[in-house]
Amino acid sequence: MAGSFDFDYHAAAEVVEAILKKAAPLVDEAEVYLGISESLSADLKRDKISIGSNSSGSAVSIRVIKDGKIGVSSTDSTMFWEKCLSAAISSAHLSDTQPWGGLPSGTHEKEGNLSFDSSLTPDSALLGDLIDRMRSGAESEPGAVITGGGASFSSRYSVLANTNGLYNTNKSTTASIMLEAIADQSTGYESDSQYQLSALDPERVGETAAWFCVHGQNGEEVKTGSYDIVLAPEAFSSLLEATLIPALSGRSVHMNRSVFVGKMNEMVAPEQLSLYDHGMDTRSIFRCPWDGEGTSISHLPLIEKGKLVSYYYDLKSAYLFGEKTTGNAVRYGANSLSSGLHNVVFEGPTMDVMDEKCIYARDVVGAHTANPMTGDFSVELSSPFFAEGGALQRPIKTAMLSGNVFDMLHALVGCSKESRIFPRMIIPSVRCAGMSVIGRG
Amino acid sequence: MDNTAYRYYDVRRVRGEATHIDIDNTRIELAGSVFYDTALIRVLGEFGWGVLSLDGEMVGDIATREKLPLELIQKALHAAKLTNERIEISETASGMRAIPAMKEDPRASSLEEKAETLLDIEKHAKKDEIVSTRLGYIEKTEQISFASSHGDEYEYELVRSGFSVMAVSRRGSLSQMGYNREHTISGIQLRTKHHLAAEAADRAVKLLDAKPAKGGKMKAILDPELAGVFAHEAVGHAAEGDLVKEGSSVLENYIGKKIGPKELTVIDDPTLEQFGFCPVDDEGTKTECTEIISHGVMHAYLHSKETLAADIGYGIAGHSRGMPGDVPIVRMSNTFIAPGECSYDELIESCRDGILLIGSRGGQVDPGRGIFQFNAEYGYLIENGEVGQMVRDVSLSGEILTTLHAITHIGDDLTFSAGFCGKSGQSVPVSDGSPHILLSDAIVGGSDV
Repeated sequence: MAGSFDFDYHAAAEVVEAILKKAAPLVDEAEVYLGISESLSADLKRDKISIGSNSSGSAVSIRVIKDGKIGVSSTDSTMFWEKCLSAAISSAHLSDTQPWGGLPSGTHEKEGNLSFDSSLTPDSALLGDLIDRMRSGAESEPGAVITGGGASFSSRYSVLANTNGLYNTNKSTTASIMLEAIADQSTGYESDSQYQLSALDPERVGETAAWFCVHGQNGEEVKTGSYDIVLAPEAFSSLLEATLIPALSGRSVHMNRSVFVGKMNEMVAPEQLSLYDHGMDTRSIFRCPWDGEGTSISHLPLIEKGKLVSYYYDLKSAYLFGEKTTGNAVRYGANSLSSGLHNVVFEGPTMDVMDEKCIYARDVVGAHTANPMTGDFSVELSSPFFAEGGALQRPIKTAMLSGNVFDMLHALVGCSKESRIFPRMIIPSVRCAGMSVIGRG
Repeated sequence: MDNTAYRYYDVRRVRGEATHIDIDNTRIELAGSVFYDTALIRVLGEFGWGVLSLDGEMVGDIATREKLPLELIQKALHAAKLTNERIEISETASGMRAIPAMKEDPRASSLEEKAETLLDIEKHAKKDEIVSTRLGYIEKTEQISFASSHGDEYEYELVRSGFSVMAVSRRGSLSQMGYNREHTISGIQLRTKHHLAAEAADRAVKLLDAKPAKGGKMKAILDPELAGVFAHEAVGHAAEGDLVKEGSSVLENYIGKKIGPKELTVIDDPTLEQFGFCPVDDEGTKTECTEIISHGVMHAYLHSKETLAADIGYGIAGHSRGMPGDVPIVRMSNTFIAPGECSYDELIESCRDGILLIGSRGGQVDPGRGIFQFNAEYGYLIENGEVGQMVRDVSLSGEILTTLHAITHIGDDLTFSAGFCGKSGQSVPVSDGSPHILLSDAIVGGSDV
């Protein structure tokens, strides 16, 4: 199964044009997002491929503005576009009026294509090769049993256009791999997602998943108490996503649902810490020059040297609250347009985070149960180890970490020199002093 | 095409419309609809599954079609060539259960009427110290059609509707949140839900005076909602046949073994008229109740056609579910701990000193490691057999097998709560249920240790 991902660009353009043409006389402004995608994937169950999948899909999302009222509708079938437009107009009738300063305008067609690898094709032999290489990586740790995983290639073409002349197109590709393994009752996993096939490192994925499950066996119990904790990027990013990032949303702040209400220009973290959104960071895996509404994106400092310097907004929330958009409209799937961050970068003072004695956690179980209003959390640690001298020393069987994310920033004593690059985040390991650990020892 | 090239196929088409309303601090932020029509074809080739996900229109009217177009079967078979595991499936019982009649069809009232009712409900959350309110409404109508090469054919329509309300309180720099939600297949009666807004607001205000919980090992009473999450996270997921088959469940090889007190029975029942109701599962198997744990003994796993054939342990098929356009996998539906005989007062008295955990902010499990974690919305200290001071930000984690043995009392007040369960990137409607239960030696999380 090879060939290439191939889309009917002409048909997509026709649908977009038809929607805008029909909408223009009925509303003040209209916006269309149309995405078409194809993917090929292979699912591992144990160490064999049990499912091969081929999928194709499309999505249309329409937003209309009439007299300051915003209406939305979406569909996964381009055939429903007229019904969808009609629903968007009905939706606008019902929504409340808000201040509105217009959609972005454009004068000529723009192409993104910054995260597109034309050599990525729906090639089953390449998928099989990636899986073989992950398996080979996992074999470096005798005793690891593969329980699941997979590999997938996908390609997406999207058009974002509006009645103000904006017409942006973007092609992107994604190659993803993942492996899960177990040794006795110790589990390990690893994944990688890139837009370029050549950037994937399947052997490392296999080795990492296997290493954590094999070396996590026969863990000892830890006593309840106060410990220095090192959170790997996976663990730290999960806690940030559940608490700090939603708290920086302009909508959350203005609607009184954020701990940062009234804190602008105040110190909210130690002076050495900064957090910003940089969707065009050259290290970022998936880049696009504009946000989900067509606003150009830029480097956005949110917390700079400990000081809160900005919230993030899309057009809708910016107009509503008398602010300027920060280019932070995001589309998680075509059906949802909201404000969000493109590529979170966290920076702090660097150090060898595991030089001194500490408890290391690769990930956490239950980060999404944290209190988004206060930042309080209690999570179970995944793959916890006692660490010292720069290395993981002895596995811990079970341990629960409790605390508050905003307080934890003040307890942060250092960051690793290397950061992990996730699809929407670039995050280091962090060392935090005096954290509460509840153990069973 | 040679029809013998496939051993089995099925096709599931889902046409749907979802309506959402979002009220944010008395503003109608969103009131719109989403339309979808998607199909999934699964073909069992020489080895494993070939799956084709596509626009529903491309498979046409399944009910009037004798066979799927060969071109689509061939495409799915082509994907099956990627596989190298020989999958076998079991023939399973056919039949579809009647769709329960709705008490009230939510589609009968207009979007405008629903939005007005929500705005009216919101007024009940506006109290002193409440600084933010948000309400959401969702109504989803789906027409599902299914056919398989085994000759099974089903068509049905199901309407699910739900409502949520959140209130945020503030005093100085301290904020807290109260939350209520209700989802049903019976048609939500919005005009009777004002009390849920008032309750959420009252709780948000009371939490301003609650103490942070002290973490550690202690006796804990879980309310029906949280105990239901425990049944779901700690027992249900680990009993899913696909995880057992893959070697990712701590309950592998536990059929017939004692894993809890004899008073403990845990059930998954897709036939119940609760939010996880399934008239037939998503691979055409008749749905039946499964006793996962029966009187303290691990009795059955939840199965699909594939995991049933894998001979990994007793259980029945009929537990396979998929989101529209996604591959069906083994899922729970309505999962609950069967009621015992203890009254609520007896549980509190038996606890003497410990903590009462109430409500749920969700949970997560690592079924291979046998570790779970979930958060309560709030709790109360229990001192000398009396319910005392309110506490906030309390959670529970533990090892599945140890915690099951730590159940010492089971209440008589079974109650269900509706929600959604995520697995393998798919979210499906479920309900969890339980009476109050008492755990000895629970690991309770709190920032004060």
